[in-house]
Amino acid sequence: MFLQPAVVALLGKGLALTIALTVITSVLATCLGVLVGLGRLQGRRWLSVPAAVFVETFRNIPALVLVVFFAFALPNAFAPPLRRALFFDNPITHALAALTGLLAPWYLLGGALGLTLNTAAYIAELFRAGVGTVAREHVDAARSMGASWGVVYRKLLIPGGLHAAHPAITSRLIHNMKNTALLSFVSVPDFYGAVLTAISRSFQAIEFLLLAAAVYLVLSLGMSAGLQAAARKLFPTPRRPA
Amino acid sequence: MSDHLAFLWRQLPNLLVGFPQQRPGGLVLSLVLAVLAVGVGFAVALPVGSGRLSPRRTVRGLALAYIELFRGLPLILLLLLVHQGLGGRRFGLDLSPRQSAFIALTLYTSAYQAEIVRAGLQAVPQPMLDSARLLGASTWQIFWRIQLRYALRVMWPAFVGQAISLFKDTSVLVVLGVGELMTTARAALGSDIRNAAYWVSLYLLVGLLYMVVALLASQAARRWEQRRTSTDLVHSLANA
Repeated sequence: MFLQPAVVALLGKGLALTIALTVITSVLATCLGVLVGLGRLQGRRWLSVPAAVFVETFRNIPALVLVVFFAFALPNAFAPPLRRALFFDNPITHALAALTGLLAPWYLLGGALGLTLNTAAYIAELFRAGVGTVAREHVDAARSMGASWGVVYRKLLIPGGLHAAHPAITSRLIHNMKNTALLSFVSVPDFYGAVLTAISRSFQAIEFLLLAAAVYLVLSLGMSAGLQAAARKLFPTPRRPA
Repeated sequence: MSDHLAFLWRQLPNLLVGFPQQRPGGLVLSLVLAVLAVGVGFAVALPVGSGRLSPRRTVRGLALAYIELFRGLPLILLLLLVHQGLGGRRFGLDLSPRQSAFIALTLYTSAYQAEIVRAGLQAVPQPMLDSARLLGASTWQIFWRIQLRYALRVMWPAFVGQAISLFKDTSVLVVLGVGELMTTARAALGSDIRNAAYWVSLYLLVGLLYMVVALLASQAARRWEQRRTSTDLVHSLANA
């Protein structure tokens, strides 16, 4: 049997890291994506132009390039003492090292940053398209009844945009979960990284790769079902056509 | 600054077409692999996507399983599965990294394209199919001459998006060392500690190359789409 206790512990830790990474980057990317998407809708150019540049940059650069750039390349841009202080030897990395047991937690942080920016750029576009389906008349009606823009955004535009865009956002978040496997390339021991380690120790490649495939399938299908259930809870009424 | 530019200038031909005295690689190989995989992937996606709408339950189930399987796995895992599984000792096929990469990319994109095909076929208005049937067309005639022709117009933008997405995904092939853009970038930096300073500028250039190709492709597709829709009868019917 290829699953020895030590290997199970290794894979379990990896799986926990993959799930934690998925949850944290998904939440951050959704919030950031909504903000950037709203920024793109603004009439003021100093808001809409940077938002558009953000979207086009982080959507058109592959996730792996972003991950490698932030994790491995960015620290090299600084002189050694500053590099140590910024990326490898400060309270944040110490805390993270204590929490995860990693020797260089920056690789995890930088990789997560790359994933978050990539996913946020996609979500910003999806959300912007979703807001476009909110009827202009509803906004005008709310405004003429004295609602402030803050209320219009909070009660009408943001929920409406998320409601219209949620199927696409769901599939993007599942994509984000699959992209966490890219962090193994910057020596983060996520589930896929743990699988690679287990293979290099045991040379039983096929067994571990098939196990990994099963786990990622369960994660994908589970995430899809979970997010659909959450959407049904959040948006119980079917959308009326605008 | 000038030493960075000199380094990038020296590496640019390697990034674009691969290293001299080796097989062609770099950006050109990324593009070729993506285009081939999307093309072959479509040939696979057509039966799978149509199978999703089959009246037979087993066909529908098989098509759904195919799609969920290859969409649910990270590409980086699919690559190793194909390379080690199909190409491994036990299965007996001796696959080169390039062949494995091509197979994995094709499987991956075909699952996404199958969903596009299904959505496109479902967008065909029922009255159009009923009229064809009333005029005496056979099922196959309806499928090839009406449903598919109509659906292809609906599917086109989604296909372009999928192709661009797959082009960016080719960066993952670096795990097999296929020699595409990301692999040449890693090889250009090598393990030389003196190159450490060039990491940022080189990966900025690599990101820029991917971005420029992706933006140009989506621009060109949009331009082509606009020109064609103005003269296309089927499209004007679809949007009437």
